[in-house]
Amino acid sequence: MAWWMKLLRRRRLEKDLEDEIAFHRAMRVNDADAPPFGNETQIRETVRDLWRLPWIEALWQDIAYALRSFRRQPGFTAIVVATLALAIGANTAVFSVVNGVVLRPLAYPEPDRLEFVFTQFPGLGFERFSMSLPEFLEFREHALAFEMVGAYSTGEATVGGAQPSRQIGALVTHNLLPTLGVQPFTGRGFEESDSRPGADPVVILSAGLWQREFGANPGVVGSRVEINGVSTLVVGVMPRGFDIRDEKVELLAPLTIDPAALPNTRSNHFLYAIARRKAGIDRAQAQADVDRLLSRWKEIAGPGVHTPNETAHRVAITPLLDDIVGGTRRTLWILQGAVGVVLLIACVNLANLLIARAGSRTQEHALRAALGASRWRLLRQMTTEGLVLAVAASAAGIALAQGGLWLLLSSYPRVLPRIGDITLDWRVLAFTAGVALVVALVFGLVPFVHLLAKDRIGNALKLAGNRTTGGTARARVRTALIVSEVALAVLIVTAAGLLLRSFVNLTSVDVGFDRSNLSSFAVALPGSKYNPAARVAFYRELRTKLEALPGVRSVAVMTGLPTQRFLNASDTDFAHIPNNQPEYQGPAENVDYYQNVSLGYVETMGTRIVAGRNFEAADEGGAPVVLVNEALVRKFFEGLDPIGRQLKRGFSDGSPWFTIVGVVKDIKNESMAAETGTEVYFLTDQVLRISNQAPGSMYAAVRSALPLATLAPQFRRAVAELDASLPITEMKTMDDAIGESITRPRFLLLLLGLLAGMALMLAGVGIYSILAYLVAERHQEIGIRMALGAARQDVVRLVLVRGLGAALTGVMVGIFGAMSLTHVLTSLLFEVTPNDPATLAGGVGVILMVAASACIVPAWRASRVSPLTALRA
Amino acid sequence: MAKKTRRDLIQGSLDMLILRTLSRETLHGYAIALAIQQRSGDELRVEEGALYPALHRLELAGLLKSTWKISDHNRRAKFYQLTAAGRKHLEAESANWNRLVAAIAQVMEG
Repeated sequence: MAWWMKLLRRRRLEKDLEDEIAFHRAMRVNDADAPPFGNETQIRETVRDLWRLPWIEALWQDIAYALRSFRRQPGFTAIVVATLALAIGANTAVFSVVNGVVLRPLAYPEPDRLEFVFTQFPGLGFERFSMSLPEFLEFREHALAFEMVGAYSTGEATVGGAQPSRQIGALVTHNLLPTLGVQPFTGRGFEESDSRPGADPVVILSAGLWQREFGANPGVVGSRVEINGVSTLVVGVMPRGFDIRDEKVELLAPLTIDPAALPNTRSNHFLYAIARRKAGIDRAQAQADVDRLLSRWKEIAGPGVHTPNETAHRVAITPLLDDIVGGTRRTLWILQGAVGVVLLIACVNLANLLIARAGSRTQEHALRAALGASRWRLLRQMTTEGLVLAVAASAAGIALAQGGLWLLLSSYPRVLPRIGDITLDWRVLAFTAGVALVVALVFGLVPFVHLLAKDRIGNALKLAGNRTTGGTARARVRTALIVSEVALAVLIVTAAGLLLRSFVNLTSVDVGFDRSNLSSFAVALPGSKYNPAARVAFYRELRTKLEALPGVRSVAVMTGLPTQRFLNASDTDFAHIPNNQPEYQGPAENVDYYQNVSLGYVETMGTRIVAGRNFEAADEGGAPVVLVNEALVRKFFEGLDPIGRQLKRGFSDGSPWFTIVGVVKDIKNESMAAETGTEVYFLTDQVLRISNQAPGSMYAAVRSALPLATLAPQFRRAVAELDASLPITEMKTMDDAIGESITRPRFLLLLLGLLAGMALMLAGVGIYSILAYLVAERHQEIGIRMALGAARQDVVRLVLVRGLGAALTGVMVGIFGAMSLTHVLTSLLFEVTPNDPATLAGGVGVILMVAASACIVPAWRASRVSPLTALRA
Repeated sequence: MAKKTRRDLIQGSLDMLILRTLSRETLHGYAIALAIQQRSGDELRVEEGALYPALHRLELAGLLKSTWKISDHNRRAKFYQLTAAGRKHLEAESANWNRLVAAIAQVMEG
């Protein structure tokens, strides 16, 4: 009979047996001299025993017993479950992030075949740079290891309608979507004809944009929408969750490829390429293929300077997932380690609680053993208790993790790549189950080991009623627990301290300008409506209007906002550096950042001119002049005076020479932690006059003591008065902008700080309870000592020495551990070494304070012991 | 094998007797007890307290199969029959038993 039948059809079986016995009895009625019928109940019981599933019944029994014993000690249970829930919840939350960012494969078919293709310019220090269109086309045609290669470039576009908005969009080649393996769920993808010059403008929307701005209208395909002022046909909508390389694109448009213009754009790098390896080709083979291509690229491209080769201008591939998340892997595993340490501390606490509890249950266990329970049975009982607690704590922990994650992600929505769609998937649940299992085992083994000590069971029965002092073994275990807790706490507190110092260093970096009282916003002008002259006029009028606002001290317009810049990497010809000398050994004449500014930049930003002069009103119609920053002077003008020297945009003969008239103090370009890059400032009016070009999107920076909330509507009105169809974006204070650039370090600090706080709290509570039990157990001994003449402070000293001695040992172990482990944090630290003694000392100090305060109460209680009552008990 | 107590021996023998009885025909519990009693010339009386646990145990072990049928007294009864596994088990036990008996006899003679 199948085992499950026994379980489910029990009632039926019982009835059958009853009938069977009744039949037998009925038959026997006729048999006069037979012995009396056996005890029917006994028969039933014996047969019933055959039906039992011993292990399920035993498990059920254990669980019921466990629940009863927990109900008897609600305080203990509550503490245990709460502590564990916190620790397990934290672990689950962090693992969800690790899983969502690092472990989860990309949402494309066969994602491990996707490679990111990029260029490298070792001479310029560019490790990961974009490709140019001719390069990309050559790569696509000649790199045989790949079945498909597509490319894209991102930018912003104004999506028109009643409420125009700026959205992130991507210009893509027609085979990017097939390369990724995703198609619009309605409508069509792009075809090669869409990329021809003069083709009808078409666009594909993201599912998110479709829902938000188009009301999920099913008839959107075939309708027209205004993009950057141009009427564009919507041809498709992408499925939900689609993105390219975590760029958060909302629009896709075809990249226009003009074969006639191609040869001139070899050095115009702006494309990012994604390639799909052919099935059966592995990474090494693909890499070898690319290397081969590099060695013969010059033959393919023909004569010319700017061709990929094996040395100065490389093309490389890396798995797409690595490219997206690579930088964060280490950070996340560090976080996981930290939260694991907190869990360990929680387990140490619980081990202590369990030992204390087991100590008081020794009698109960001894009795059960005497009644026939095997050691195995007792172990199973304790493990089951652990399992029940672990399951309860895990359920609570998962709920906490969900809540905590939601909170964290809504405050830091973009801090990590792929963080937008983190869920509790099977890997996370499996992880939590694993953690719960380990905890349950700890629960079972710790008291069991305690029980197994020689003669424990026998002695326990004999000494029933007495409180034993426990012996040296238990004291050693106690010390070991305190030492391990403190050591672990040192690790985490040191890590948090290092991150704190690093963050403080970051925020006190000299950004090079006065960041207070500065607000900014961006306005983009569609090329279809504004020619370059109109754009310059617009920005000038905007500046005038803004300066006229009450409370505004000065306004400047610029193409790049400090700490939010994008690398331009523009070739720049310096007059004083010879071009055609083959032995030229100096830095390649490439400037990191080009800035187009209006007058008033230096005043508005609150920076200063360190040499020469600022732009003046006369320059607007005057000779071409530029300002450079200190970094550029250091790099290209070592020892020479830059004032009066000339430079030129690019190396073609047609462009005019600009004269350097002033040097600006270094202003941070991209991140607070990076060195300031080289920068050249051009005056917008001059660029227009000389080359009839003007930026399509600029930032307005406004210096005013008024808060942004007061200024914002006035900004909007000023723009609307000039052109009501233009959306304003990125309105924020400079402090906010800088804050954005250090979001990730702040996020990390917050998390690690929280964990350090948890660790300290757990360690403190742990030390306190260990010592409290110690005092309670040695109640009698203390009473004896005092009766024999020990003073109260001797008793206090006894306890304190115990506690602090163990804590000190723990600190030393912790310091040793910290010094060997903190080097993993190096990449996250800014201007702080991993073994920074001040941080270590600070961390140790905090922990010792916590330990000392944890020791005081038990010590004081010990001194209150009255010898009379202790001896009588 | 561990030392067989008297209880074990009797229990083991009962199983064998039941199997042997059922190797001839399909019977219900009462009939089995009756058959054993009659064939042993009233020497062996199987108590119900031993019979039914044995029957159910043999059934759980897969050596017997049971069906509810109408008995010749027009009542519903549970009939047991041997399975193929049961038959094999019976042969093995039979052989063991004969060996045991022969061995004991030899010791007693000699």
